[in-house]
Amino acid sequence: MTKVKSNGIVKIILKKDLKAGDIILEMKGIYKQFPNCLAVENVDFSMHKGEIVAIIGPSGSGKSTLLRGINGLEKITEGELDLYGTTGMVFQHFNLFPHMTCLKNITYAPMKVKSVNKKSAEDKAMSLLELVGLKDKADVFPGQISGGQKQRIAIARALAMEPDLMLFDEPTSALDPEITGEVLGVMRKLAEGHSSMIIVTHEMNFAKEVADRVVFMDGGKIIEEGTPKQIFEDPKSDRLKEFLKTVY
Amino acid sequence: MSEFLAGFQDTMAYVVTLMPSLMAGAWVTAKLFVWTLVLSLPLGLPFALGSNSKFWPIKAICQIYVFIFRGTPLILQLYFFYFFLPIAYGIRLDPFVTSVITFVLNYAAYFAEIYRGGINGIDRGQYEAAHALGLSKSQTMFGIVFPQTMRVILPPVSNEAIVLIKDTALASIITVGELMKASRGAVNRDVDTTAYIIAAIIYLGFTFVMTLLSNHLERKYSRYDSREVD
Ligand SMILES: Nc1ncnc2c1ncn2[C@@H]1O[C@H](COP(=O)(O)OP(=O)(O)O)[C@@H](O)[C@H]1O
Ligand SMILES: [Mg+2]
Repeated sequence: MTKVKSNGIVKIILKKDLKAGDIILEMKGIYKQFPNCLAVENVDFSMHKGEIVAIIGPSGSGKSTLLRGINGLEKITEGELDLYGTTGMVFQHFNLFPHMTCLKNITYAPMKVKSVNKKSAEDKAMSLLELVGLKDKADVFPGQISGGQKQRIAIARALAMEPDLMLFDEPTSALDPEITGEVLGVMRKLAEGHSSMIIVTHEMNFAKEVADRVVFMDGGKIIEEGTPKQIFEDPKSDRLKEFLKTVY
Repeated sequence: MSEFLAGFQDTMAYVVTLMPSLMAGAWVTAKLFVWTLVLSLPLGLPFALGSNSKFWPIKAICQIYVFIFRGTPLILQLYFFYFFLPIAYGIRLDPFVTSVITFVLNYAAYFAEIYRGGINGIDRGQYEAAHALGLSKSQTMFGIVFPQTMRVILPPVSNEAIVLIKDTALASIITVGELMKASRGAVNRDVDTTAYIIAAIIYLGFTFVMTLLSNHLERKYSRYDSREVD
């Protein structure tokens, strides 16, 4: 195993006038070394504003680590990461704040971080609740709603900060198969609204349908990337062919 | 029957003569209790956070502090501070102040451990969600982490507070004129244990009020269902 020296550079450049098609994220030679494993190895990746990228790959291939490197939840060990804007994240296990109502979950960060006043934070939250179809859950605590509803609240919470890039880390993996649809439905709406999104997912059909580009990772590296058509119908590498066999 | 009544009246008359000194003692007990809680409840927090620190000297200091104050008798700590400062530095502090300092240091150590347990029980995902939303460290601690620890730490904290009501009696050994000392004075003087019974009733009254208060707080913080089931 190669140990990597520590000189990761993360630049976050806040550009207000980013247009569709401008670069929103650029990664060059990204490595992430954990004490006993190299989770991400020499990843180069860039994406445009408005683009929807799906990351697929077997468990342990470094998908989450790469995603978490983008918003600083993991400190990258080496490489350069330029981010032109802010991120929001949706987690596999929702991570809603259980001591706050759904409405408060959504308004809390805008009020604290952006000093938005209560009234406009709540108005915004109500329109987001409408978007995710949960207006009636505003005053309910997260402990009292289903997993699919929690994840929809979590999406609304992330959107409330108006991120330039949304990161989804297996948003439906903790849900029963019959309720993944309600979450994917909300994500589809966002995709239609031209949000920039990176989605780590095991939902191959969803990736095929919604993503502009699909990235296949294995062993910490990007093995192959391309349009959904290229990746799913004409895989080049043996590892991707092997992987697709296991998921279908 | 009338003999019994006369005896009862005598007793009541005696109780009335006891009340001024016992109430004065109870007032000192109440002040000891409130001062100790008001100062030790917040002081426990930096020690709790310090015990979790990644910076080892701070972690070591906090852990040693907790170890010493939880690992030695409170009565020894009282004697130590009562005699140590005058002997070592010639500083003679008021016994009441000495008791408050000792109780605060002792109880802060217990509270630190309770807080630390509560904080460590919070899921990593809560910190990650807060970070992903752009919340600062202090916004995360005060807005997300501490409120969630409340329901877990309240029962052991109120338990400690009830223990403290009774521990204040120890201050009598360093001459603080609280309820225990007042009642012992009356019993020794009059060779009559009535003062102890009244003192017991007053202690129970304090405990009762404290129990009501903690029940109220526990109800307040258990409004939400804490178990976030996936
Ligand atoms: N905090 C961590 N400490 C040590 N190793 C980790 C940590 N997080 C992830 N890893 C390791 O890094 C590798 C990639 O993990 P991850 O990014 O979670 O993969 P994926 O999301 O594709 O399943 C795995 O081998 C995993 O065990
Ligand atoms: Mg993962």
